[in-house]
Parts: sequence; C-alpha cells; structure tokens
Amino acid sequence: MVSDSDHLREKRVVFYKEDVEKINEVLIEFLKLSDSKCNILIDKEGHMVTKAGKTGAIDLQSVSALVAGSYAATREMARLLGEDEFSVLFHQGRKDSIQLTLVGDRTILATVFDERTTIGMVRLYAKEASEKLEEIFRAILERPPQEGEDLDKNFGEDAKGALDFFFVD
Amino acid sequence: MVQINFSLKEVNCKVVYYGPGLSGKTTNLEVVHQKAPKGSVGDLTSIATEGDRTLFFDFLPLNLGQVAGMKTKFQIYTVPGQVYYNSTRKLVLQGADGVVFVADSKKGKMPENLESLENLMENFREYGMDPETTPIVLQYNKRDLPEIYTIEEMDAELNRWNCLTFEAVARDGNGVFPTLKALAGQVLESLNRQHSGGSVAQRRPAAVAVGAGVAAGGGGGQQSAQASPAVSVGQATGRAQPMRATGQAVPMQGGVRVSAKNQSISVAKNKKKNRSKGMLWVMLGFVALAGAGAYLHFSGKLAALLGQ
Repeated sequence: MVSDSDHLREKRVVFYKEDVEKINEVLIEFLKLSDSKCNILIDKEGHMVTKAGKTGAIDLQSVSALVAGSYAATREMARLLGEDEFSVLFHQGRKDSIQLTLVGDRTILATVFDERTTIGMVRLYAKEASEKLEEIFRAILERPPQEGEDLDKNFGEDAKGALDFFFVD
Repeated sequence: MVQINFSLKEVNCKVVYYGPGLSGKTTNLEVVHQKAPKGSVGDLTSIATEGDRTLFFDFLPLNLGQVAGMKTKFQIYTVPGQVYYNSTRKLVLQGADGVVFVADSKKGKMPENLESLENLMENFREYGMDPETTPIVLQYNKRDLPEIYTIEEMDAELNRWNCLTFEAVARDGNGVFPTLKALAGQVLESLNRQHSGGSVAQRRPAAVAVGAGVAAGGGGGQQSAQASPAVSVGQATGRAQPMRATGQAVPMQGGVRVSAKNQSISVAKNKKKNRSKGMLWVMLGFVALAGAGAYLHFSGKLAALLGQ
C-alpha cells in the first residue's frame, strides 16, 4: 500500500490564490538568485501548479507530464536500491539544462537554466527554495479543507454542456 | 487526483487508458487527437520503442474549455499494455481520476484481457483505489473483426462493476468519443459531488452476484451512447443491471468469474511476496534496463520541448 497516496487522496489537491501567491514569491526570489531562465512547480500527477520566469514557447503541459513521469521512474529505481527517494535529477543539454528538485512529498520544482549560471548555483538556491516551499505546503495541508472558495454550484450542469459541445462524434 | 487551482482558475484531471497490448489504447488517443476541435488538444507525446510500441506512456493534453469559470483540462495517458512493462504501467496509473479499459474483442484474446484486468485490480489495490468508486468505462474494441466475442461474453468476463460499456472500432474512429465523453463525465460528476457537500465517493449499484444474472431487458437495460454520462454513476437505479452504451439489452451473466488465468496471477503474487534477494537483483536489472530506456526517451523528449 502507498500510504502517502491515501493521505493525499483524502486531502484532494486544491491550490488557493493566496497559496499560489506565496509560492510565486519564493519562485521569483529563487529565479533571481540562481539566475535561471524559468521555474515550474509540478505536482506528482503531472499537473503544473505555477511558474515563474520566461517559459516562452515551452509546452508546459507536456513538460509537466514528462517531468512527473521521469520522477516517478526515478523514485521506483530508488526504492529498488533501498533509497527513499532521489531528491534531485539533472538533465544537461547543449544550451539549456533542467534540474528537478523534489519539494515535500508531492511536488517537483523544475528549473530550466543556461550558461549564464552554473549547476552549483542552481542546486544551492534550489535547496533553500525547496525548504521554503515545504513550509508553505505544510501550512496548506494542515488547514481545514472546508475553508476557502469552492467550485461554483453550477459546475456539474456546466460540465455536461461542455462535454456535449466538445464531444460531437 | 484532480487538481483544483483557483489561482490559475483551472481544474486538471488525469485519465488513463488501460488494457492488454495491441488492444487499441494508443489508437484511441490518436483519434481523439485528430477529431478534437482545433486548439483544444496539444501535441500527442509518445514514449515508444523503435517499433512504435508504448514503452512508458502516450500523453495527450485536452482542454475541455470553461466550466463554471474554470478552465477544465484532462491529461490523457495510455499505459504500455505488454505484461513486461508492469513497473512503468503502475507508475502511470498513480493518481488517475478515471480509467478507460480497452478490451480486445478478437476471439482468443480473452485471457489477455483478463490478465490485464487483474493487473489493473492489483495496481488499484497497491494505490488504495477502489474500483467500485473510481470512474471506469469499458471499451470493447475491434468490433469489426470477423471472429469476435459476443457482447454478452465480454460483459460476463470483464464488466465486474456495472460500468458503462462501449463498442468501438478505434481504427475507424468509431466509439472513441463516446467512451471518453462518458469517462470525462463521470470524473467531473465525481468532482462535483465532492465539492457540493456530498460524499466523497459514491459506489456503483451493487454488482450482480455470481449466478444471479438479471435480465436487463424490458427497456431498462439499454443506455444510449448519447445519454449524459455525467449522471451514470450517481443516478443509476438500484437495479443490478449492466450499463451499456450501445447494442442490445442482454442478460447479465454474472459477476466475477474465477478463471485459470486468475489463479496463475495469484500464484505470481505469492511468489512476489516471497521473492528472494536473487529475484530482487533480477528485477533491479530489469527495471534499470527499462528505466535507462525510458530515460533516453525522456531526455530526448524534454530536450525537444525545451528547444534543444
């Protein structure tokens, strides 16, 4: 059994505006300190939570899915080697590189950077940023779930209409 | 797991196509990619082998559009169907909000369908997912082939949870949209229930007990493919009956059938529990091999997306 999944499933993943604003502050600070191009925060299901910096023409949805898949495969390898998790992953390109840093137990921070900075700088400040983000997530998880805004009461009805409109066979 | 992001005003759902190898999962995604309204789907990303068999997953982002002020998106994945790739298949299933099980209707393929379904259940159990409450839709694919199982046979063997079923010829695009529409509807309805103060999970009507087949005839057993799928779980009547999207009303043959295949899987599970260190190293080697392959693909895909 994967106990943390049970826990997270019960909690559901809801990000409120004020949470994301706090996360963005951390990401922007990290962006400046590390001199990276952009930072993308992704949950383990492969959904993007938020981003900072110049993402330009990057297909964020696809990158998020691949990052999550990559991390999942790494985690499984770690488990088989007797490690809890490999907390950092690094892919080096000719021009741009990407570092993936685990944040808490359910999000991944993807940092894209180029020759303007170094892997050492990115790694150093990513650790700091990761700790700050973990603090924010801890506060989110400890908050009672009923607080904050919720989906509109017409969501169900609207969803049916959207599905009928979209799926015209 | 559905992500609700009030900052981006987005709802993100994960849907997984499951099923045996070569049953048509990737073809389903290709059809959705081709038929969906322009601008509503992103690129279809495949992490596949040289021979175009899925190695890790295929991925298609789909934007349903605005739903009550929220951009509603689906991330659609397929798993590799081959038995060999269970470790990666399991990873893709994690956090899924709904599953389409694509079964091969061709005669002789039932053992593979059953093996894949058992594998799905095993992976469900590992993640603490309940097939009674998780949105699942069955697609009986390749209905155009000359030698196929009847719908009754498919239902009897595979439809254990009163799921909606759809006949399809994915290669020609038939049945692909109704299947996905039904599942997407169930996922959104489930989300709506959770956020409208209702119970988090709602069970399907009780499955038909083995040997207590109930004729779904009398006009009550058919469910049109056009019927709103979003209400299928919540508003299904208490009558135990197969929920069919197309085809004729047929008697339900029963619930779970224990087959020789199931037993062999149980044995495999026991072996797994008692695996020796040697077995672990064999697995490690296997996963490292698969992982290395996946990494090469990942690096390539990520580099391509980053414009390298």
